[in-house]
Parts: sequence; C-alpha cells; structure tokens
Amino acid sequence: MSSNSLTLAPAPRSEAAEQVRAEVREFLAAELAAGTFDTHVDTWLSGVDPAFSRKLGDRGWLGMTWPKQYGGHERSAMERYAVTEELLAAGAPVAAHWIADRQSGPNLLTYGTEKQRQEILPRIAAGECFFVIGMSEPDSGSDLASIRTRAVRNGDGDWVVNGAKVWTSNAHHSHYGIVLVRTTPADPAHRHAGMSQLLIDLSLPGITINPIRILDGGHHFNEVVFEDVVVPGDMLLGEEGNGWHQVTAELAFERSGPERFLSTYPLVAEFARRVADSDDPAALATLGRLSARILALRQMSMRIAAALDRGELPNIPAALVKDVGTTFEGDVIEEIRRVVDVTPSLDSPDPLGRALAEAQLHAPGYTLRGGTNEILRGIVARGLGLR
Amino acid sequence: MSDQDLVVETVRDILTGFEPFALTAERRWDAGLWGALASAGLTGVGLPEEAGGSGGELADAVAIVATLARGAGAVPVAEQLLVAGPALLAADLDLPSPEEPTTFAFADAVTVHPVDNGDGPGRFTLNGTVPDVAWAGVASHVVVLAPAPAGISGAVLALIDASSLPATDAFNLAGEPRGSLVLDQVGTSGTLLTEAQASEVRARYALARAVQLAAALEQVLAWTVQYAGERHQFGRPLGKFQAIQMELAEMAGEVTAVSALTDAAVQALDRGGNVVLAAAAAKVRAGAAVEVVARLAHQVHGAIGFTQEHKLHHLTRRLWSWRDEAGSDLAWSRVLGAGVLAGGPDAVWPALTRVV
Ligand SMILES: Cc1cc2nc3c(=O)[nH]c(=O)nc-3n(C[C@H](O)[C@H](O)[C@H](O)COP(=O)(O)OP(=O)(O)OC[C@H]3O[C@@H](n4cnc5c(N)ncnc54)[C@H](O)[C@@H]3O)c2cc1C
Repeated sequence: MSSNSLTLAPAPRSEAAEQVRAEVREFLAAELAAGTFDTHVDTWLSGVDPAFSRKLGDRGWLGMTWPKQYGGHERSAMERYAVTEELLAAGAPVAAHWIADRQSGPNLLTYGTEKQRQEILPRIAAGECFFVIGMSEPDSGSDLASIRTRAVRNGDGDWVVNGAKVWTSNAHHSHYGIVLVRTTPADPAHRHAGMSQLLIDLSLPGITINPIRILDGGHHFNEVVFEDVVVPGDMLLGEEGNGWHQVTAELAFERSGPERFLSTYPLVAEFARRVADSDDPAALATLGRLSARILALRQMSMRIAAALDRGELPNIPAALVKDVGTTFEGDVIEEIRRVVDVTPSLDSPDPLGRALAEAQLHAPGYTLRGGTNEILRGIVARGLGLR
Repeated sequence: MSDQDLVVETVRDILTGFEPFALTAERRWDAGLWGALASAGLTGVGLPEEAGGSGGELADAVAIVATLARGAGAVPVAEQLLVAGPALLAADLDLPSPEEPTTFAFADAVTVHPVDNGDGPGRFTLNGTVPDVAWAGVASHVVVLAPAPAGISGAVLALIDASSLPATDAFNLAGEPRGSLVLDQVGTSGTLLTEAQASEVRARYALARAVQLAAALEQVLAWTVQYAGERHQFGRPLGKFQAIQMELAEMAGEVTAVSALTDAAVQALDRGGNVVLAAAAAKVRAGAAVEVVARLAHQVHGAIGFTQEHKLHHLTRRLWSWRDEAGSDLAWSRVLGAGVLAGGPDAVWPALTRVV
C-alpha cells in the first residue's frame, strides 16, 4: 500500500540511551532542588537561560551526535533523543540552544565549509552559540518559495542583504541566523530555484531586531530587518541556488522531535498530581488516555530518530509526527479542563491553573510553527500517493 | 521472504476463497475459512508442537491474526492463538486440538469451587454466567478467567468444554457472536493464577484486540485511499481535492500512531516483560483512532460505504465493536492511568518511558 512510505522500522533498544536518560534525570532533580529553574510549559520556545545551556554543553548533552573533531560526542540519535525528552518533560529552560543543537548544527555539518564547521560547531556544542531560523517573511509563511529577501554579490565578492524576516524565534538572544534569501530573481516557472542559505552574524551593521509579543505578553519572536547588510562571501551555506533543497532537508530534524508532542508535558505532569490526590475515576481515565497518546507518539518519534541515525531523511513521516503530535498538544488542554475544576490563570496560586494558562496561551503556536498542520497534511497526502 | 511474509501470503491466499459476508444469527461464523486455516496448520501457530500446536513464533501468530482482521475473517483465531492457547500453556493445562476453535472470556460473576484442592492444576466446579463470550455457540472450548474460590487470592483459569452448553443470542455491531454461557455445576480442570498472572491474561486479550484493530485500521485507510483515487466527481478523482487529502492525512496519522504502539506492545510481550500497561496503552490508543478513522472513511466513501453491498462495513463495524471488547476503553484507560501513577505523581514521566 502506498502509505508504506509513512511506516518506519522500530527503533533499536538502546542501553546507552537509558544510561544517559538516568544521568539527565539526576542532573535535573539536582538543578530543580537547587532552584536554578522552575518548570514551565513550552520551554523550548520561552525558556531562555544561557547559563543552563552552558551546563548542558559542559555535560556533553549538546551536539551529541556530531563528530568529536567539531566538539561533538559521537553518540547515537537515540541517546540524544533521551536527553531531549527528559529536558522537555521536566519543563527545563532549553530555548537558548534548542534551534542550534537540533537544526543549525546538523545543517552546518552537512553543508558547511570546513572553516564554518570548525568555527561554529564547537561553540554550539559548548552551549555558547545560539541560532535562529530565518525562513518566514511578512508575505511568505506557508508559501516559503515566495520569499523576497535578497542577497547580491558586491565587487568584493561579499553578499549585500536586504529584506525582512518575521516570527524569528529568539533572534534577540542569538548569535547567528541561517537565512534563506533569493540570490537570483524569482522565476514563476521555477519557483524553487534561485534561493540560497546564508550564515549571518546577527550583530552585523544594518540588522535591526524588533520584538513581536505573543498572546501571554512574552517576547520570544521578532521581526529581523536587513538593510544593506554586508555578509562576507564565505558565509554562503552550501551551494548557491540550492537553498530550497537544503531547507527541505532540514525539516526531518525540525519536525519529528519530542518537542512536537511534549511542549505541554509539564501540564500533564501537574494534572497527574491532581489525579493522584483525587479519586475521580473520570480523571484517572483521562490520564490513561493521554498516556496512551504520548506512548504512541514516542514510538513514532523514536523511529524517526533511528532513521536519521541510519542516514535517512524521513521528511514525510516527520510531517506526520508533527501533525499528530501538535494536535495532541492542543487536545491535552481540552481533555484536562473537561475533568478538573480549575480556572486557568498565569497568576493562579494553583500550579495546575498556571500550567493550563501557559499551555492555552501558547496553544495557537503549536500547530503553526515549523509548518502548519494543513501544509503537513498536504505532505502526508503526497506520501499516500494522492499528489 | 521472511517466515512472517510467508505466513501472511498463505493466509491471504486462503482468504481469497472466502469473501467476507454479513453475519447473521444463522450464519455466525465462517466455518469454511476456519476449516481451510486449520488444515493448513494455521490455527496452531505460535503454540509449541509438543503441546499439539504447529510451532512458530509469537510474531507469526500476530501476523496471522492481523491478516485475518484485515480480511474480516469471521473466525476465532485471535482468541485462540493469542489468548486462550498461550494462557492454557502458561497455566500447564492441556491444549484442546487446535483444529477445534477455543475462545476466551472473563467470568467475573462465576463462582468457583475446588473439587479436591485449589492449588496447582486441579478440578473445579463452576457456577454462574459468563457474559460476552466471543464466538459463543461457535467455539468448542472456552477458557475462562474467574475469581478464585472464597478466601484465596488470585483467579482461576479453567478450560470448559462448550460443545454441549447452549449460548444466548447476542452479537456485536458486526454480527460476531458475543452471547453468554450459563454454567450450572460445570466440572472442569483449572489452575489457580496469581493476581499478576491473571492481569497478564486479561492484557493479552486486550492486546489481541489491539492487533486486530491496528490491522483493520490500516486496511480501512488503504481502502479509502484507493477509493479516493478511483471515484471521480467534478471531473477529478476525490483524492485531488484538498479537503479529502486533509481527511486522509488525518486518518494516516491515527493509523501510524496505532501501528507503532501496537508493534511496540507486541515486542514487549515477546520479550516477556510485564505487558499489562503496554497492552492497555495499545488498546486505548487504537480505540481512540477508531473514532477518527471510521468516521472519515465513511465520509470519504459517501453513500456507497453506507451499504451492505460495499465492503467497508465489514471493518468499520468491527472497529466500533472491538474497541470496547476485551475490557472497555474506559476500563483500560483507568488501568493505564493507575499504572503510570503507581510510583507516585512525580514518577509519571519515568513510568511512561518504561511502558514500551
Ligand atoms: C511560535 C512560533 C515560532 C516561529 N518561529 C519561527 C522561526 O524561528 N523562524 C521562522 O522562519 N519562522 C517561524 N515561525 C513561522 C512559521 O513557520 C509560520 O507561522 C508558518 O509557516 C505559517 O505561516 P503564516 O503564519 O504566514 O501563515 P499562512 O501561511 O498565512 O497561513 C494561514 C493559514 O492558511 C493555511 N494555508 C496556507 N496555505 C495553504 C494551502 N496551500 N492549503 C491549505 N491551507 C493553507 C495555513 O495552514 C494557515 O492555517 C514561527 C511561528 C510561530 C507561531
């Protein structure tokens, strides 16, 4: 059947992953006890704490799968998977390094020049260098091929960049962006041609970063404006004109991880505390149903991690995991509020009320960031042979 | 070709000779299909040869059950290969001939009296009603799990010869027999199980249904994708409409989630771990997917899928039933909820990472 392309082989069982999982748990328990962080929902967007990221770097929990020569640790994707899961489940502040570790680093490994890799990867792995994804623009969201930000070579062989990116998560805390630009004018007959990725130092003159606030008032994403920004010629990432291919290859990393169903786990954990204190059979059953969904998502997501380990790029199953996972993240809120009597408020004295409020105010983002569920389902439909 | 592929191919070949039909009170099962499977030795797969089975792995038995579920085969193979057979073997009870259908049922309201002793394989007398017996009136034997005699903890697993017991007429939504058996001083052999062993037997039954659900969900998706490619409206195949693509993609997400988890639960069983929570999770997740998949499958099929002429109902009606059988969705949700909470509310996440 044509949905075979959606099916992946089971992930291998990994002792090493269980070992590192235990170490991360111990670390997190100690950090929580020491009060270095508070648990929150959706911390991979909002939990920026560079000191915490550095601690993870010191422990060898960033750049885990990369070659040692670039500061990596040559561990398996399953080990990395266990680390990311534990951090998310604990609601730890991981936003500062998240994009760099998940996506930009692997992108540099695949497409970067030797110089780029040597200069940047060890700093990412140390938790000292943070990245943004510069894809979306004011007029280009789902239709990413319509971007207008452009880069042209000047007489010195450098790139001059003009345009604007939006929704750029954590640009105000980050050092670099991998920015998708047009390097040749748009050609309606070949919409995906003429785009390139540039590695841009966000402190360059001509870059303005303007905050955009989300529903809870938090400042997490930004507008990033480029006015005659001169980017050194050797900061092209990969091949000129190959930007579309490079961007789509990133997506298996971007879409399949546990952050696509565990953003709201701290809410589930708080709910579990409430269920344990009550003897409400409806709430217990709800916890069971949510657990079953989490367990299925873990199996799906781990299978993709294993496929990435094997060097595959399972973009279609990754789109499917993100669709099912982020749908779950929204449903969690409704399932829980149906069986508990609690008013959501960021100021609630009740931790469940707070978690519910955080999850609710962040909820519209789950099914948008990283590609909307409508777009993802279009990709899945392709996997089903319909397009 | 792997052993499992071979098994699947054999079952598929046999199935082609037996189109699914609408079950009625007169036509309760597909005796012809059963006969063909039995003579090919497929009704004893996964059960050791020393015990009278045909040998083979758990995975082979699961593959047979899944293939039959896809084909809506009206035979008690899931009950026999995945539940009754293994439970009898684990309890050191004799296996009836695999050529005769043996089913399984919980008998919570049946009272059990030891005839000589209640310790180890022994003789018992059973009284009371066994409800919801899959293939009641069809199966020659029923393995029942009943509460242990008063004052003893655990449960009794007993093998009942059902050939002379009348079954009541009751059917699930697909017309599969689910009648009751009334036991009046029925003497039989049985074994006392610990509470943990008994839970495991129940879990196997839930997992068997999850395996059937997963397979049927996959098939319903495949049928629907195929139909969307064949049926034209407004000059195009339905599958070219974005609204339909969204529905099919949503179905695919549900199906993939169920397959991955059910697979993992079967592997957990194969490794010999405690399978109760894994089975609970697989059953509950599969049950949740039924809502989406059956609804959208019918929507995409339009009116033709609402008829008995079309094959779709053979699986959607089973899906709607199977999700509440072998322990309801609600019951297994509570088992899973309580299971992940067992180590205290702060240990829910660690518990989740251990289930499968
Ligand atoms: C919290 C958050 C963080 C983000 N971080 C980043 C970041 O760091 N870097 C970055 O580059 N971007 C980021 N984004 C942007 C994100 O990738 C876009 O929001 C997303 O791609 C959708 O684009 P849009 O918002 O312009 O919506 P639009 O594309 O305008 O879509 C609006 C609606 O129309 C639907 N739609 C559009 N086209 C179709 C179609 N062909 N068929 C069916 N439906 C369609 C969409 O699904 C959606 O429901 C972030 C977004 C959020 C919410």
